[in-house]
This record gives sequence, structure tokens and C-alpha cells, in this order.
Amino acid sequence: MKEKNYAIKIDDLTVAYNYKPVLWDIDLKIPEGVLMAIVGPNGAGKSTLIKSILNIIKPIAGTVKVFGKPYKQQVDKVAYVPQKGSVDWDFPTIALDVVMMGTYGSLGWIKRPGQKEKKQALEALEKVGMLAFKDRQISQLSGGQQQRIFLARALVQNASIYLMDEPFQGVDATTEKAIINILKELRHAGKTLIVVHHDLQTVPKYFDWVTFLNVKGIASGPVRDIFNDDNLTKTYGINYKVAVNK
Amino acid sequence: MTNAQLEIQIIAALVAVACAIPGTFLVLRKMAMISDAISHSILVGIVLGFFITQDLNSPLLILLAALTGIVTVVMVEYIQKTNLVKEDTAIGLVFPALFSIGVILIAKNANDVHLDIDAVLLGELAFAPFDRLLIGGMDIGPKSLWVIGVILFLTLLLLFLFYKELKLSTFDKGLAATLGFSPVILHYGLMSVSSVTIVGAFDAVGAVLVVALIIAPPATAYLLTDNLKKMLILSSFFGVFAAISGYWMANFLDASIAGSMTTVLGVIFLLVYLFAPRQGVFSVMFKEKQQQVEVSLLVFLLHLQNHTDPKERHVNHLQEHINWGKVKSKTILNLAKKNNFVTIDANIALLTPKGEEFTAEALKYITTNEETAIEGLKKRFFLFRG
Repeated sequence: MKEKNYAIKIDDLTVAYNYKPVLWDIDLKIPEGVLMAIVGPNGAGKSTLIKSILNIIKPIAGTVKVFGKPYKQQVDKVAYVPQKGSVDWDFPTIALDVVMMGTYGSLGWIKRPGQKEKKQALEALEKVGMLAFKDRQISQLSGGQQQRIFLARALVQNASIYLMDEPFQGVDATTEKAIINILKELRHAGKTLIVVHHDLQTVPKYFDWVTFLNVKGIASGPVRDIFNDDNLTKTYGINYKVAVNK
Repeated sequence: MTNAQLEIQIIAALVAVACAIPGTFLVLRKMAMISDAISHSILVGIVLGFFITQDLNSPLLILLAALTGIVTVVMVEYIQKTNLVKEDTAIGLVFPALFSIGVILIAKNANDVHLDIDAVLLGELAFAPFDRLLIGGMDIGPKSLWVIGVILFLTLLLLFLFYKELKLSTFDKGLAATLGFSPVILHYGLMSVSSVTIVGAFDAVGAVLVVALIIAPPATAYLLTDNLKKMLILSSFFGVFAAISGYWMANFLDASIAGSMTTVLGVIFLLVYLFAPRQGVFSVMFKEKQQQVEVSLLVFLLHLQNHTDPKERHVNHLQEHINWGKVKSKTILNLAKKNNFVTIDANIALLTPKGEEFTAEALKYITTNEETAIEGLKKRFFLFRG
């Protein structure tokens, strides 16, 4: 496969906070059009991996290529859904406004969002089933609703790659279903989705690609080939019996 | 009203707006106390600038002093980054050190420097009209009016141009970074504007009180609105109101202008804190009371649904078994009756179909924890409120 066919290609990536490596010599090839889970124990560097792909954290070694080019040249192709807890939901604004922030990237500096951007935001809100809440103050939304607002904000970016940091954390069953349906729809539309995920039970049901991570890369590939007890044990360090195959 | 009085009020009002705008973003970024650090440590910059320019309103002095403000921010962040001390400690380490250097410099050169510690702390607004700006021999107004006017104009211009970027990076730094709006540039941009504003306001209101003008109006506005634009407008309004009424209070009491302005700000905050419609102390107390009543009503309805035995549904049972006081039992019973949730027959309560339906809906929320269910319930509760 030529380099271009990978949505993301990571070579020898090492990230460290004060001497302590959080990610160690990671090599990872993520093909275009997969719905991929990143799994691993707490402190495995899952969020860090996503942040270094986005260049929010600077690695001490290694390269990250997005469709064969550095991230900086591909900013508009990548959408990011951070952890819900990463922002202050008491910020004085409404749901619609937060979703519109997704359009700021294509607007660039100084230019203001207008009717076109508003329409995009409303469409995204409808897709995540939050249109009725568009004028709601964001602190008045439940955890699941806030997560859907974040998802809608990523949808308006109309990117090719979506990076999501634990989108299912602290949401109710309805929201989880709504989110996974949208993710599957996006994959059918040819998008690449990379999701930090915690619930191992749902990996085979939700995802078609998986990366095991624990500071070092353990394995990465199709769920049906590599999601097995062997890799789970290597990643989590204890015997795991959750994998469904073999 | 004399010309000088009018000029003082205009200067105070402009200072208030110039402070409220960066103040709003500082408060939202939870960085309000950095303004305290800047306002103190710029003293060194002002004193050094004064040695060079011999003019408190010279642009060079303002730039030098503002630079000291930025240096303060950098030093605070540097100390904080070592992880040896927390942010508030870092702030407390940096600004007293720089401030005291300024104090020593003033004391050593007290004889030939027109600066004294009182003025540094509290400002000299009353003297502002005496220092005129002359162009070609023509008097075009007090110098400090022009200084703060230019600063306010630049602040408004930058706010207008970069409102979107400031909002985004204040709310979600991570997204700002991934969309290509460097949070570092915006952070230092905001810090620069804050520093320049503080230097410009310093002469009028001094090191201690400029902090009040930066923090109090946005903090007050924050309690009243959930819209950033309205928050900016409201903070400016509160600032101007405090500036003008503070001036007249000082006039009346023959007291310090800056002190009176700050007192007014404190009183406004207190009033809003107590009486704000949604987040005020009294409003929250009322809401909590209301919620208690609503939950008690649900408990009562569930109890009726669970028990068919008339003894369990006797009105007196509320007091005896559910263990509620007389007044509370009566309130709940009346509320249930008023909404046609129950009928009372010979002191035996019975759920009406409407009551059954409502209880079922509430149960559905409690057992499934579904968001759509609670939305419906909230509306229902709202219907019988008041």
C-alpha cells in the first residue's frame, strides 16, 4: 500500500513528560475508512496519542503523517472531539453557538460566521437529535447532551478524519446508541474514525479496527483478526477472557 | 457641574469600559488574579519609564510598563511550569518582588520624582484635568483622557476583529489549537491588552483599585447573563455606572474617588449576588424549596400507587408513617389536590387517572434515567408551579 492510502501513518513516535515516556516508539498505520477503537489501561497514553496526532502535544521523536503530509497542512481534514470534561460548561453561550465553533476553522482569522455557517450547525444539531435544544444554555444540558453537542461540532467541520476522546464516557444508553449510529454512518460515507474507548465488551459490536496501546503499541488491525485474549492480556497485564473469537 | 468635573467623569467611565472588556475574558479564563499581579508589578516599569521620559503620560512609559506586565505573566508561568509551586503561589511570589523594587526606586528618588506611594495605590483622578495635552499651543483636553481614549479605541478594535477567536480559545483551547488559532498568541494578546489597559488606568485609579474595575463588573454580569456579548455590554455598563456614581459619592462625602467607585462596585455585586433572577442567593433558595416540595409530592404519589390498603392511604398516615410535619403534609396534600392528582374521600386519598399517569411518567424517568423522560417531567412540573 502506498503511503497516501493511510489516513494516518505514525513512525517512531515518542512522547515524554519530564523524562518519563508516555508513548514509546509507536508505529501505527491507520487505513482510510476504518472505525477504529484505541484501547488500553489508564495511563496507557491513549489521549496523548490523539493529542500528538493533532500536534497539541509536541513529541520528542517521530513523525505523524495525515494522508501523507504533516498535520499542519491538513488541518481542515481532521476534526477533534475532546473529552467532555476538558472545557468549562458554565461558559456563557448556547448549544448552537458551540456547534458553530466547528466552522471557525474554515473561516480563518477575523471573518465571522454567517447564515451559511448557522445552517450547517442546525443541520448537525438535527443529525445528533439536539435541534430542540439549540438555544439552551450549555450548562443546562445533561452530560449526554453535551457530548452530542461536541459531536455535532465535529460534524460541521466536514472532515475526513474524526478523532474522539472517550465519547461514550458518562452518557446514557440512548446517547451511546445515537452516537454509535452516527459514527457508523460516517464510516459508510468513507470517513476515518479514531475513538478512544473504554468498554471492551462493545469493541467487536461497534468497531471494525482496533489498536491496543500501553505506552508501547501492542497490536493494531481488524477487530476480527486481533481482538483476542492474547492481545488483551498483553495490553492489560492480567488474563482477559472477554474476546469473542477463537 | 464644572468642566473639570465632567472631564473626571469621562475619564473614569472610559477607564471602566477599558477594564471591563479584557476583564470579562480574564474572569472567564479563571485568570482574574493575574490582573492583580500585573497592576502591582508594572510599578517598576512606570518608575523606570518616568526616569527616562519625565512624563507620566508618555507612550514610551506606557509601553515600558506594559512590557513589565508581560514579563510578570511570563515569570508566573515559568515558575508554575516547574511544578514546584501552584499558580496562586507563583503569582504571590512574583508581583510583590517587582512591586517592592518599584517602591524602593520611588523612595530613593522621592525628591525629584512626582510620584508618591498613595498615588500609586489609589490613583489621582482628581488631578487628571490639570495635566493638559497641548498641540501647537492649543489645549485639546486632559492628557489622561487621550491616553485612556486611545487605549479603549484599540481594545474595542481588537475585540471587534478577534471576538470569534477569543471566544473559541477561552471556551476550548484544544479546539482553537487544532483549528489553527494559536492559543498562545491569543493568550499573550489578551495579556498585552490587559497590561496596556492597566498602565493606562493606573494613573487614574491606582494599583489596588484597577483590579476591582477589571474583576467586579464581569463577575457581576456573569451572574445575570449566559450570553458572552451581553456579558461584555453589562460589565461595561456596571463599570460606567460605578465610575459616575462613585464620583458623585466621593464629591458628596469628600472622599477618595477611586475608593468610592470601588465601594459602589462592591454594593452592585452584593445586590446582584443576592437578587439575581436565576443564580441569586434568594432565587436559588426558593428553587431548592420548590424542588423539595416537588420531590415530596412524588414520594406521596408513589406511596399511594404502591398501597391499596385504605389504612396506608389515610390522610393522617402522612404524618404518622411517612414522618412529615403537619404543615408539610398539608402543603403536599393541597398541591396534589390542586393538580387533580388525588381525590380525598372520607380522609382516604385516591390517585386520579391524571395522578396515575403522572406517577408512571416520573417512575419511567427514575428507572430508565432517560433524558427525554426528564425533559417531559420538567415541563409538567413547571405547569403546576406557582
